Amino acid sequence: MTDTRTTAKSATPPKGPGALKRLVAMPEFAPMVLLAVMLVVFTAINPAFLSLRNISNALTFTVELGLIALAMTLLMTSGEFDLSVGSVFGFAPVVMWALFNTLGLPLFPAFLIALVVALCIGMVSGIFVTALRIPSFLVTLGMLLMVRGSALWLTSGFPQRTWDAGEQWLAAVLVGDFYIGGLRIYMSLIWFILIALAAHLLLTRTRFGNWIQATGGNEGAARNRGVPTKRVKLILFMLSAAMAGLAGIISSIRVSAANPNSGMGYELEVIAMVVIGGTVLTGGRGTIIGTVLGVLILRLMRNGIVLIGVPGLAYNIFIGAIILGMMALHAGLERRHNEGT
Amino acid sequence: MNGTATPLVEMRNIEKYYGRIHALQDVNLTIRPGEIVGLLGDNGAGKSTLIKVLSGAVPYTSGKIRIKGREVTLRSTSDAIEAGIETIYQDSALVPQLSIARNLFMGRELRKGPRFFDWMDQERMNEVAGQLLKRVGISKDIPATTPIGALSGGERQAVAIARAMHFESELIILDEPTNNLGVAETQGVLRFVREVRNQGHSCIFIAHNIHHVFQVVDRMVVMRRGKVAADDLDPETSSIQEVENIITGEHLAA
Ligand SMILES: Nc1ncnc2c1ncn2[C@@H]1O[C@H](COP(=O)(O)OP(=O)(O)O)[C@@H](O)[C@H]1O
Ligand SMILES: [Mg+2]
Repeated sequence: MTDTRTTAKSATPPKGPGALKRLVAMPEFAPMVLLAVMLVVFTAINPAFLSLRNISNALTFTVELGLIALAMTLLMTSGEFDLSVGSVFGFAPVVMWALFNTLGLPLFPAFLIALVVALCIGMVSGIFVTALRIPSFLVTLGMLLMVRGSALWLTSGFPQRTWDAGEQWLAAVLVGDFYIGGLRIYMSLIWFILIALAAHLLLTRTRFGNWIQATGGNEGAARNRGVPTKRVKLILFMLSAAMAGLAGIISSIRVSAANPNSGMGYELEVIAMVVIGGTVLTGGRGTIIGTVLGVLILRLMRNGIVLIGVPGLAYNIFIGAIILGMMALHAGLERRHNEGT
Repeated sequence: MNGTATPLVEMRNIEKYYGRIHALQDVNLTIRPGEIVGLLGDNGAGKSTLIKVLSGAVPYTSGKIRIKGREVTLRSTSDAIEAGIETIYQDSALVPQLSIARNLFMGRELRKGPRFFDWMDQERMNEVAGQLLKRVGISKDIPATTPIGALSGGERQAVAIARAMHFESELIILDEPTNNLGVAETQGVLRFVREVRNQGHSCIFIAHNIHHVFQVVDRMVVMRRGKVAADDLDPETSSIQEVENIITGEHLAA
């Protein structure tokens, strides 16, 4: 009576080809291939693409959206997403610089308060989603409008002055730069790498990471086993808002402007990064490595198509095509996987 | 069947309405420690409703539930799991994306190192999971790191049963565990049920197929139209025909 199973099992190929199959089945496989293809094609057309200067430029801006994408990956793995990150990206720096400029608060307390405000925004979204069971699409859409509206109303639509006298150590810690050889490295890149590493370990190695995946994979089952699924989601909403706030602040220091309009549309670009990386919109499966690849793909695409002479305005055509192509590929792999071939 | 030991579960005068549907009418059910009880009845007889009440999945209108002599209120499935009652529905209790080991320990993950890091002890979880799989008889060649999504229906049930056994659920409830299973897998599930008894747990086994029930249970309870029609049928002394008559109500017509 066990024969059916034994034969089914022995049909799966041993070691060598099996390893290859597992590699292909990994959600990170497709973005990895895409990134490699992009590097080859862009460099072939314009060798300047691989120059140190270009790479260091490309990486700078990357991390601001990338930080949000890391937190969004965790949130999406738990089965929710957050459309308000772009407006929090604009709002948090406005709060920080308004406190600094008008109340004369030192920069660090103003920074902390701005982050707490972001955490509160995430908490409200999380409460609406978990306690009132309203879909996160609607909750965070409402939040997007409220937060963006607050930023515009607080500032009357004008950018905040971001610089007042002297060196600020916080600015150096967040966006300072240094050189390694000819490569100019920004501190924000170091932060991105550290946080990506922490998020990866959190998701794959810790108990909380198991809870995130269980919550997104089968919430009822997880709850029955005592996993505090609501708390998991609430924490992740708060984390994603805080990351959006931090990213906005880093950006405002880098470009020396806190514009209440900044970050518009970022939510969609961030979600694009995450799904291109192989994280599933419906939850249960997420990969930080994939998201890092997704971040690089979108960034290098933006940079690459300009270098090879395609008008920058065409950027969205490529991004849209990549998303559709990747989704088709993932769906195909998923189907093959489920059919067990 | 000695009446002296405290029953594991006593349900008394349970009433349940779904709107105007009277799904359970004055139902009494007793489960003794280490007993395997088969719950039989036609579609719509109220079997699932009764075990949902017992597993905290639906509220009941009135009645009392005692577990080991202590009166309890079961507001949620996790209340019931805490009280030692674990219900296994096909599939629904597992996370398909996660590995067997991660599912086995879900919510009770083993940890190592300083608490602050919240580090899971994956090696030990995989090791214990491997031993557990052997214990319930699903075998050698399925590593504990296999995702649940790659398992067959019978294997998934085995994982859920293994989990209930490992965490010392005293009563394991199986609602139609052999539906949609092939012959070999059905035999597997029946083997797990025997294993459950050998390990000293009690079990309620709901199945359409009377033959399956006859093979494993100590006692049969029959429900009909929301009521308990018989609750002490012994598979050794009753015939399948007799039980079938009670299920359909033939014995009353005669
Ligand atoms: N969620 C529900 N809402 C309304 N009626 C229900 C619900 N669940 C079951 N019922 C009704 O309760 C009765 C008992 O159903 P059920 O317990 O599922 O029977 P069984 O498991 O024995 O087939 C049936 O008449 C069924 O239609
Ligand atoms: Mg039923």
